[in-house]
Amino acid sequence: MQDERALPVSRKISSWRQFKAILRKDIVMELRTKEMLTSMGLYAILVLLIYYVALSQAGQGFDVTRIAGGLLLLAIVFTSMLGLNRSLVHEQDQGCLEALLLSPIDRPIIFFGKAVGNLIFLLLVQVFVVPLFYFIFLSGGMATEHTGPWWMVALALIVTSIGIAGVGTLLATMSVNTKGKDFILAVLFIPIMFPLLLVAVAALSAVITGDPEYVRIFWTMLGAAAVYDVIMISAAFALYEFILGA
Amino acid sequence: MKRQIQVAVVLIVLGGLLTTAAFFMSFYTASVQRFGTYTAEGHVDTVFDIAPSSEQVAGGVTYGRPWLAQKIFYFHVPVALASFLVFTIAAIFAVMFLIKKKKSYDTRSRLAVETSLIFTLATMITGILWTRASWGVWWEWEPRLTTYFILMILMVAYFVLRNSVSDEERRATYAAVFCIIAWIDVPISFMITRLIPSSHPVVFQPGMDVTNLVPFIAAMIGMLGVGYAVYMLRAAEENAEERLDMIREKLEA
Amino acid sequence: MSDFALEIENLTRTFGVRKALDGVSFNLKRGAFLSVFGPNGAGKTTLLRVLSTLAAPSRDSSVKVLGYDVVEDAVELREHIGVISHNPLLYPDLTADENLQFFADLYCLENPKERIDELLEAVELTHRRLDVVRGFSRGMVQRLALARTLLPSPELIFLDEPYSGLDPHASDILDSLIAGIREEHTFVMVSHDLEKGLSLCSDALILARGKVVLFEAAENIERDEFSRIFREAVGRGVS
Repeated sequence: MQDERALPVSRKISSWRQFKAILRKDIVMELRTKEMLTSMGLYAILVLLIYYVALSQAGQGFDVTRIAGGLLLLAIVFTSMLGLNRSLVHEQDQGCLEALLLSPIDRPIIFFGKAVGNLIFLLLVQVFVVPLFYFIFLSGGMATEHTGPWWMVALALIVTSIGIAGVGTLLATMSVNTKGKDFILAVLFIPIMFPLLLVAVAALSAVITGDPEYVRIFWTMLGAAAVYDVIMISAAFALYEFILGA
Repeated sequence: MKRQIQVAVVLIVLGGLLTTAAFFMSFYTASVQRFGTYTAEGHVDTVFDIAPSSEQVAGGVTYGRPWLAQKIFYFHVPVALASFLVFTIAAIFAVMFLIKKKKSYDTRSRLAVETSLIFTLATMITGILWTRASWGVWWEWEPRLTTYFILMILMVAYFVLRNSVSDEERRATYAAVFCIIAWIDVPISFMITRLIPSSHPVVFQPGMDVTNLVPFIAAMIGMLGVGYAVYMLRAAEENAEERLDMIREKLEA
Repeated sequence: MSDFALEIENLTRTFGVRKALDGVSFNLKRGAFLSVFGPNGAGKTTLLRVLSTLAAPSRDSSVKVLGYDVVEDAVELREHIGVISHNPLLYPDLTADENLQFFADLYCLENPKERIDELLEAVELTHRRLDVVRGFSRGMVQRLALARTLLPSPELIFLDEPYSGLDPHASDILDSLIAGIREEHTFVMVSHDLEKGLSLCSDALILARGKVVLFEAAENIERDEFSRIFREAVGRGVS
């Protein structure tokens, strides 16, 4: 009987509108402060600098393509942790997450809203970092001629980023509520992500080194990464409600 | 609770005896052991003789493969299986906690992770000894070892997470969620030697000799007995603490 | 439709041996203003979290807010309640307008523009609508927070220590804002401030150790007697 009561302000709950609102809010905030993108971008440059130091004494004969896939992914993993932490700290700061939870929104929408936002920022940073990485480490005389097509590299990075954003959003939502936020995120994030990173590096390396069998290796490894994404994101999706409710 | 402790002590004694018996059998009655290894070339059998074998060459280094080393199989494998099993139980309790929100499930889940971590450490130590003896290295980054190592790190991370949350209920919820996600590594680690080329042997395959199987199962049951006893003792301790809390709460009211 | 805004029977929330709320039962009429008092850890915040659907009560409790069950009808209930807390619950890097627009989208309001204009006018922030909230004074933030709360026209408003951290001026502003909407809403306020709480309320509730110590209509409350009971409750909570 309570349903017959007319609401003073008319409305019809639409999950799509709520999802768009969360996404738009994150993007507008980021465009205004540029906090996440600049800090992630700068951090990525610093990581590349450290790589240069690490490789500076490797000598002329050293083939950097053999470890390029791993180096690239490592830079992305570290910068993504920075971004994930920031993204959830924003919600925590003024108790905004509570306001979100008080609104008539299904919990999974919050998960998808935040995760998709994180994915977008992650990919934006990569658009900047990957070419930079290429110019610094791969464009010199060291690069092999038979490197695979670039779209394969992009595809591998996208599949990996989806996993990072999905699981990372769940773990970061936990870690912002703990003592030592970013440290806890690293402790939880790296071992959980480990299988994905392993197969992603295998796929990337196969393409970058131009392994004679790179097509077969690439698709096998990418398939494994996709399976991992599906399992992990389903788990994160199902469990997110409990994290928010705690 | 007194009863719980008594049962635990009995289990430790029985489990210990069973494990010891398994070791005796492994030395004196077990026959030649074969393990299948799924390598890049296909399926390869590794044979562990009953008698000491001569010097062998691996990776350009000559080393004596101790005949005794193989006997660690009867400790290493049961303890590793037990660690998978107990962690699975921990994940089940974690799911039950999320459904029922009862503190007792959280306690059980945590104790199971604790027990599982003990088993995991034992597996690691025996594994490293065996690796050294039969592959000539202390550690190799091959799929099984790597995923198992990650499992151990995940268990440690579980306790780091617990320690960093102050609110009791939130701690329990976060821990349960993390336990479930971390558990996904268990089937990965278990199946990986069967799926991709790996130097770690697949120990379960049809045609295992009875003289091998009997000590193996005896050791397995013995280990699980000891493990369950450890779990029970910790549960008794937690119980006592909880009762103390309850009395304190009543006194205050 | 029932006359009660809150129908609470045997509300219990436990975790292990700790009982945050222990058999709380009371009813509150629509249009009332309830002040909840109690020492730290008495269960005030937990009560508010349960009533606002952020925390679930134990299974044998029956908690109805505005006729909705807080567990089963949580999503519908959320459309009818609002919270003003000492935290503004606003994004500091968004403008006043964007903040309200965001919450209008979450509640899926139709014609949000008009509603936002109307509310900004009411809290006298129209001239700052395109400014980022970060630059607002505490009083302005609190006014905007009120606008955000009123956006979906809630029937029941929870006030979670709304005065903590406010200077006297901002506190006066909040007073007049609440007075302005007092008539058409039901309020539940959690407060440390005995004076303030008693001056506003129509009903008062004292909690201690998760139990109701006193639930009384304001007109029946003897001031000295009330303070004595309150001090006693605080004393018990501290031990």
